[in-house]
Amino acid sequence: MTVRYSELIQPERVHGSLYTDPGVFAEELERIWYRTWVCVGHVSEVARPGDYVRKAVGTQDVIMTRSADGEVSLLLNRCAHRGNLVCEDARGNSSSFRCPYHGWTYRNTGELLGYPYNQGYGGKGKLSLGLGRVPRVDTYQGFVFASFAADGPSLKEHLGAAAGELDRLARLSPEGEIELTAGWLKHRAKANWKLLVENETDGYHPQFVHGSVFSVTGSHIGSLYSDKSTAVTRDLGGGHSENDLRPEFRRMGTPMAWFGTSEAKVPEYVRKMRELHGEQAEEILIEGAPHVMVFPNLFVAEISVFMIQPVAVDETVQHVTAVQLKGAPDMNRRLLSQCVGSVGPAGMLLADDSEMYERNQRGMAARMPEWLDIRRGVGRERVDENGFRVGTANDETGMRGFWSHYRSLMEREDAQ
Amino acid sequence: MSSLAGHTGLDLHEIEEFLYREARLADEHDYDGWEALWTDDALYWVPAGGPDIDPERQMSVIYDNRSRISTRISQLKTGKRYSQSPPSNMRRLISNVEVVAVEGTDTVAGANFLLVESRERGTTLWAGRTTYRLRRVEDGIRLAYKKVVLVNSAEALSTLSFLI
Amino acid sequence: MEQRIIASEFAEVAVSLDTDANGPRLRIEDLRGGRVRHLDALELESVVWLPEERLRELLDPSAGRWSDRPGDE
Repeated sequence: MTVRYSELIQPERVHGSLYTDPGVFAEELERIWYRTWVCVGHVSEVARPGDYVRKAVGTQDVIMTRSADGEVSLLLNRCAHRGNLVCEDARGNSSSFRCPYHGWTYRNTGELLGYPYNQGYGGKGKLSLGLGRVPRVDTYQGFVFASFAADGPSLKEHLGAAAGELDRLARLSPEGEIELTAGWLKHRAKANWKLLVENETDGYHPQFVHGSVFSVTGSHIGSLYSDKSTAVTRDLGGGHSENDLRPEFRRMGTPMAWFGTSEAKVPEYVRKMRELHGEQAEEILIEGAPHVMVFPNLFVAEISVFMIQPVAVDETVQHVTAVQLKGAPDMNRRLLSQCVGSVGPAGMLLADDSEMYERNQRGMAARMPEWLDIRRGVGRERVDENGFRVGTANDETGMRGFWSHYRSLMEREDAQ
Repeated sequence: MSSLAGHTGLDLHEIEEFLYREARLADEHDYDGWEALWTDDALYWVPAGGPDIDPERQMSVIYDNRSRISTRISQLKTGKRYSQSPPSNMRRLISNVEVVAVEGTDTVAGANFLLVESRERGTTLWAGRTTYRLRRVEDGIRLAYKKVVLVNSAEALSTLSFLI
Repeated sequence: MEQRIIASEFAEVAVSLDTDANGPRLRIEDLRGGRVRHLDALELESVVWLPEERLRELLDPSAGRWSDRPGDE
């Protein structure tokens, strides 16, 4: 049976079956995860030639490698001989991969170097086989993206306005580069991946779901999303969305307040930033880091970077690590500590988000009322000076942007 | 590391009694009772991705100093820590208890655990090896350090917001 | 001799500086296969200068250890 996405996705509501139907999940893999640009990792995870890390694109097991000439490749973890995994460790350093089953050996670019007892194949170099390679790999601000489609929009086109948000993250480093070198927490949720994506820029939930931690820590985060907040939710197009908290941070006007600290606590960092940026440093130090969801799976929540990995229609793994700013050791310790306290399976924020994803998934098993409502703020949206839709801090503008783009990708093949 | 026969070290029976009590307080969500076990220089650590990471540079599941333990407990006590509201039903077994070292007034002990957690999500088995640093104080024993190495620390984990 | 292990999921070798001979050599032991090879300074220098292509050829399993051509070991 063909899923009619145009009927299931309407401007103000989406159908529950989109989160529960295994057929929809299978089509999403083909039409989204194996077609558009998906974030896989960061170049700093394979800093040296020969470095490799195991990653996922959708449900595909891929190896991210750096070759001798510095090129980053994404290889499919499947021997060309009999389909065995060629790589078992989560990370390591090796210029070549040797399959443990029959010894077939590949360069970390995927090229087949040889196989044992080659007379059985008529000698050396007789097989034009190799590891599968993700057809298109590109990077932006060090983030590595994969596209299984040989042709299609460039990464720059895919990112659109979201690229500027990644720029805003990178400029927080005194060297203009972030690093993701702290390793990843992997948090499993029995929930559909889209619930996670929608939640990331949902400004309506924090005061409810995270009220417990805000109340005991005196955190200002709750007020950023209150009805009095001047922060906005922005549909950046292309399925990307952000909670733009800058209006609130500008109102506070204090450097480092975005990070819940003061410049006195990180004097070395602030000094370096002022030295590098001059007068513009104040703006950077006041506005802080972005809170942006890059379609379909990269989420930057100020100090944490998340990558969402779909596993099944009702199962998702959220990978998360702390942003590390190149050239800012005093900041990095604090970034890591704050991130560890907040995210992952025991995180004071994310454990409760994850609880909601899972309850949400179970709730949708109920037959009625069939639909999920995404209309919050529809009547008060405006278009900003760059042509983007903007809602208040707790409007569902981001979700509507997500679904609009999702529909355009999922519908495309209905017409064929 | 000084001699295991040092005068200030705890004997195995005392250690086991303490570990069982700590386990029961955690299983039964006796948050105040559990928090009271800790010393002021406490460290509560659950590494991620393997047992030997550097927690000052790498992500951990939990890496709490005394102040963060207090925040964690306060959050649980609000009743709005949804991942533990309602709380998980749990029981854990502690076994293979060994004294690792005696250092001044501190005794370092290791033990295995197997924990069954039940909540609406389903039943989850947690297992691992815990290293404890126990300190003899005037009115009994306190916990200065607890490192929990999960057997599946390198895999994706379900939400773990109870006291492990 | 201080021994260092260099290991990956694909291979595990022990390296140490051997000073038993008239000059120093690098001793390399394949811990999984049990075989030992010594490389002297000139051999090591040659490895450093080996074109990438030639080094790559050495990784072909049929290049030596698993060769089925008559005459190869």
